[in-house]
Amino acid sequence: MSDDEYLNALRDLFPGQAPALPPLPHETASAGFANATEAQQPSDVRISRYETIANLYARGATADGAAVAALVGCTDWSMPTRAAACTAKFIDAMGSRLFRRPLAADERERFQLRFQAWQASIDFEAAVFLTLSAMLQAPQFLYRPEPLPPDASNGASRTVPVEPYAMASRLSFFLWESVPDDALVAAASRGELETEERVRREAERMLDDARARRVLWSFHRQWLGLDRVLGDEHLVRTPEVDVGWTASTPVAAAIESQLFVENVLFANGTLADLLTSRRAWVNADMARIYGVAAPADPAAWSEVELPQAERAGILTRVAFLAGHSHRGATSPPIRGNGVELRFFCQPPLAPPPGVDLSQPKADPADGPRTNRMLFEARTAPASCQSCHRGLNGLGFGFEHYGAGGRYQALEQGLAIDAHGRLYGTDIDRTFDGAVELSAALDDSSMVHRCATQQWMRYALGRGLVDEETALADAVSLNFERSGGNVRALLLDIVTSPTFRMRRVGK
Amino acid sequence: MRVNRRQLLKALGLGALTTLATRSPLAFAGGGGAMSPSRVVFFVTPHGHVPNAWTMPIPGAPAAGFAERSLVDLASPDFSEVLRPLHPFRKRLLAVEGLSHTSVLADIAEVMRTGGDLNNHSVGVAGLLTGTRAQQNGGAPCTGGSRSLDQELALRTGAPGRFGSRVYGFEYVPNSSVAPFSFLGPGQATPIVADPAVAFADLLGYYRPGQVGSVQTRDQAIGAKRASVLDGVAAEYEALSPRLDAEGKRKLDDHRDLVRQLEASLGVASPSSCQATFDGSGDKLTQFMRLIKLAFACDLTRVATFIAPVPQPTDIGYPANTTMHTYAHESIANATSCGAMFNPVAARAMTDMGVWYAQHFATLLQELDAVPEGSGTLLDHTVVVWVTELATPTHLHHDAFTLLAGGCNDFFSTGRYVRYPRENTSPIAGFAKAGPAHNRLYVSLLQAMGQTDTTFGMTSTKGADGSTIDLTGPLTELHTA
Repeated sequence: MSDDEYLNALRDLFPGQAPALPPLPHETASAGFANATEAQQPSDVRISRYETIANLYARGATADGAAVAALVGCTDWSMPTRAAACTAKFIDAMGSRLFRRPLAADERERFQLRFQAWQASIDFEAAVFLTLSAMLQAPQFLYRPEPLPPDASNGASRTVPVEPYAMASRLSFFLWESVPDDALVAAASRGELETEERVRREAERMLDDARARRVLWSFHRQWLGLDRVLGDEHLVRTPEVDVGWTASTPVAAAIESQLFVENVLFANGTLADLLTSRRAWVNADMARIYGVAAPADPAAWSEVELPQAERAGILTRVAFLAGHSHRGATSPPIRGNGVELRFFCQPPLAPPPGVDLSQPKADPADGPRTNRMLFEARTAPASCQSCHRGLNGLGFGFEHYGAGGRYQALEQGLAIDAHGRLYGTDIDRTFDGAVELSAALDDSSMVHRCATQQWMRYALGRGLVDEETALADAVSLNFERSGGNVRALLLDIVTSPTFRMRRVGK
Repeated sequence: MRVNRRQLLKALGLGALTTLATRSPLAFAGGGGAMSPSRVVFFVTPHGHVPNAWTMPIPGAPAAGFAERSLVDLASPDFSEVLRPLHPFRKRLLAVEGLSHTSVLADIAEVMRTGGDLNNHSVGVAGLLTGTRAQQNGGAPCTGGSRSLDQELALRTGAPGRFGSRVYGFEYVPNSSVAPFSFLGPGQATPIVADPAVAFADLLGYYRPGQVGSVQTRDQAIGAKRASVLDGVAAEYEALSPRLDAEGKRKLDDHRDLVRQLEASLGVASPSSCQATFDGSGDKLTQFMRLIKLAFACDLTRVATFIAPVPQPTDIGYPANTTMHTYAHESIANATSCGAMFNPVAARAMTDMGVWYAQHFATLLQELDAVPEGSGTLLDHTVVVWVTELATPTHLHHDAFTLLAGGCNDFFSTGRYVRYPRENTSPIAGFAKAGPAHNRLYVSLLQAMGQTDTTFGMTSTKGADGSTIDLTGPLTELHTA
């Protein structure tokens, strides 16, 4: 599990609890996503955190006799025979809840033997605590194991269907970023996750559930780098950029983009909504930056519509704009790279060593210069242009937005030129400003394909292998035909062979 | 020779753990002839040093070749500005001018041919402690391509009741992604504990005062089952692992080993001279310096890595909206990765930053020197190594300034300032000549820690002129004769 999956799972399993937890170590993302299994690696710090957190939740769940009774589903364990029945019931129920499938006979026996030893040594309640702690540290909970079929090692490489309980976990970790609920496990137990139609029906139910909002944010946060703004560099803005910027502004910017992504995409939102919707949920600080009316309650978030000439969707929001800027100035190449990498799946080439990477500054003798003029001069050499033609072509389109995301008509008293140009795409054209760019991106098949590839990578928790790229192209075509409907895309992915099958054997 | 965690556990007899191993008391014999254990601290700071603010003249030294001078008889004003806060410790210092991050230069030269992340920060972070080529991550910043030196030493010096290493400090974010320096393996960052209180709680997880009372409360009885729970947990990993594919099996086996290590640590008592108490006074850096002392004094680890932050500008007397990174670029005349810009204010700021780091480095030496051990102090048995992300703040990797402190049981010959000649042609065409590889310093450190390695990381590369650069063998000039 990724850390987000782990913490969501604990929240969902123990809804009454919210203990203060020690921080988990940073995850190393793989190609942008922390849920990639290849990126997840145990360490001494991590297993120590797992132990501490298991004990915190187990203690909370067994705080007193009433809590233990509720947890084990028994009220009387005073007599040995009753205690034995309660133990069996508790281990089966808790085990299947945490492990997302019924316990196997050998597992049940191991946990029962330990329980009995702990009960004999201390008491029944202590044994419940210790057993729960052990289960919360077990691989069946912390990992998403998909055991090989018994004959896997001697067969040739082949694809086999994902078994139903594992399918339930695949669905829930993808669509809810958490463990399955009882209904989903029950559907697996009835063999209902074995056909495409059944999987689709379950997935539709899950996408109607509020837990699906989590995954919309988790995916877009990572895909679009919307949490970059929470980095240290963005705690401060120079007074010339935004005198009203405080340490809470980046947090508000991240929340604003979260509310936007969740509200616009939950229930049939489209890629066009993400790129072009002017709906926004703002607090006082965000309203100030966007130049719209602030909510009456300064702590509240309320829905507004952003000015038509100035704003569109996610690319024109503070989290993206400021997160791809410096403290004192914008960087068109960084913003341009943000679009190239994330919407065209085109990783940047590093500048050659020895080139000037510092922020260009105007020579006072030259009089006022816009940021664009300075970057045009800096990147004018032919050796820069092979990359910067594209980066600047995109990045200059954002020059109406300062390093704090505020809209500006003038810079240094000079008019801002926000004309840009797309190169090397299927929608090559000139455009004026990021509002036009946002609309243009929605016309691009390349953008739909890139978004699809990222969603599939996220859904599978791994990079796509060669044979899956054709499938990704087909899913992408469907996505475009559906009008960029994100819900339809997710249903397409979970019913695709690559999500429902796995490769085994040598 | 590299060992993996499993081989190590086997060597320790923990492969099939039945009884809790105990630590040899010899390691802590107080002056009874047995050597105190050797320890190492990697003190890592972002950017690098402004040469004029760090170097010291060596009177009478020939223009070419290796040169050295004693630091012992120098007065405080004779010390360079950055090293001046360390003047009280001059007998214990070994200042090393002229090493090169050669494996990083070789990596850059190669990536220039093949494409990939060439950002000087990313490659520095990835290569500083690993001494190998970075792992490229397709669009995301590159990361360490192999296990870093601190983690290699961690594997070899860990034991039941003793962490392999502790990595403390600040999550350094040069490119909007965390840069960890320390790696468990290719692309796998070692967790950095950023909160001193949490770091202390972690130490308590292994800390065991000499004896436990015989009468237990119920809570104590439950607490005493911790090892039993971990045993049960490990058994689940053992049961599941054989049923998974190779990748899943490897991950679960690694996890199981770590659970077993934690379990094995629980019965091991800490040295009686050690008292684990937390002092939350002072800034976080100072708290971490004290925690490193505590971890060493209680023998809860022998390897510590500290990642220093870029100070907030106000910490060193600059306006809050100062961008230190821009100053870094502009801090040295005619020696930058980015044209010929130079700004004296920037040079001043980078120097002030170096002094600020030196003051915290001095705090660490003071803390270690305050703990008597054997016939000396903890500092005598430790080597604290100050390495920098970049060689110079101008984002270059070829001219580094390295400070060692503490003799590590008389392995290093301290009280000296040494200068290595820059004789190797850089792997990058057009770059200045460079001194010996940092890999060779790491060989010396491995040997100081009782290992017999003669190489670490990259062993050979080519200068841009086709010459061969040898990255192997220790820097014997640093050793005691």
